[in-house]
Amino acid sequence: MSESICVLPCNGLDKCAGDLSRRVALELAQSAEVALICPVLLNQNRSRYEKALAAGDLTVIDGCNTRCASKLAGDLELAIKDKVNVSEVAKTLDIKLGVDIQENDDTRAVVQAVLAKVNSSAADQAESEFIEPEAVEYNSFSHGKFIFKVPQSNYFFNENDCWVTVSGNMARVGVSDYVQQNLSDILYVDPPEIGDEFEQFDDLGSIESSKAVFEIISPVSGTVVAVNSSLNDAPEQVNESPYEKGWLVEVKLRDFSEDQDLLHDCPAYFEFLQRKVAEIDV
Amino acid sequence: MSESTFMGVERDRIDWSPRIDFSKCNDCMDCVKFCPHQVFEVDENAKPKLKVKNPNNCVVFCRACAKTCGPDAITFPDKTETTKMIKAIRKAEKAAEKEAEANE
Ligand code: SF4
Ligand code: SF4
Repeated sequence: MSESICVLPCNGLDKCAGDLSRRVALELAQSAEVALICPVLLNQNRSRYEKALAAGDLTVIDGCNTRCASKLAGDLELAIKDKVNVSEVAKTLDIKLGVDIQENDDTRAVVQAVLAKVNSSAADQAESEFIEPEAVEYNSFSHGKFIFKVPQSNYFFNENDCWVTVSGNMARVGVSDYVQQNLSDILYVDPPEIGDEFEQFDDLGSIESSKAVFEIISPVSGTVVAVNSSLNDAPEQVNESPYEKGWLVEVKLRDFSEDQDLLHDCPAYFEFLQRKVAEIDV
Repeated sequence: MSESTFMGVERDRIDWSPRIDFSKCNDCMDCVKFCPHQVFEVDENAKPKLKVKNPNNCVVFCRACAKTCGPDAITFPDKTETTKMIKAIRKAEKAAEKEAEANE
């Protein structure tokens, strides 16, 4: 019998959020397909879990935003397939988790919601309506040992280094080459929910390397129609092809002409990035 | 740094930086470690130890450090209001430019 999911929970057993992570993990472990990973032992002796990790996808349960479990996975360069944060889920339910461990309706509701989130396989998404451009031409400049690429046309950028490219009233959003190089190996893409409506400069999920988490700050306003599901298995596409294969979110635009007022076109972003890189590194 | 801008608007005209609720902050300094832009300063002898020393170094619309804050002590100004304000400044400046051109 092969286990196909490894669950790495938060280990904050002295606090409420950690205790809920534990309860979720134990609940999940009832299934024969789930192997539990003890964070302490993993940290101490990774080889103990080598087999389970090779056979299954990794689900990480963080208790709070300190994200110890995620950070541990990042430090060990384990690819995270799915991930959930107990405190964030509690927040969406308007439930305040204190420090003290509690067994009551609120905490039970949070456990159920976290379980539902882990179990919901990626929401069904419609066929992509986005028409991909034929070939993207790039300009580049170098700084030290780095070379930064920016498309020559058809992309728009905010000053938070996120891009949008438009086809009709559909668009794709991603991060620039600069972000990708700054983060280095991207291990996890946390996409927004399909159907979410968002404003310009709202968060549109995040991407994460062992170095840092980068929040995607949306260059446009609209509705999420699809997420790039090929990144689940190959988040490194964001590194390899940040403007094409590594797109993150497909959206239906609300008012692009209004959004454009606060976006750079390609030549302007090229200049902006040159200045930024020069300023940071001297 | 003083001449930094956001979409052509001088940075010091845009009010965007983290606000710390010191009744929640537990001095963990995760936000300080996280932010690469020298927005925060730590003074071990002061209370509170944490200070938003260079608010204008904060990247407009970034909210990343708030996510690292376990006790949820960091908030930001209203994004929609800030967007409106930036657009208004840009509009006014464009109009002023046009007028200057017309008067030449
Ligand atoms: S991360 Fe939050 S709790 Fe920690 S020092 Fe910063 S504001 Fe305070
Ligand atoms: S919002 Fe971003 S730039 Fe501003 S202080 Fe926090 S991490 Fe730094």
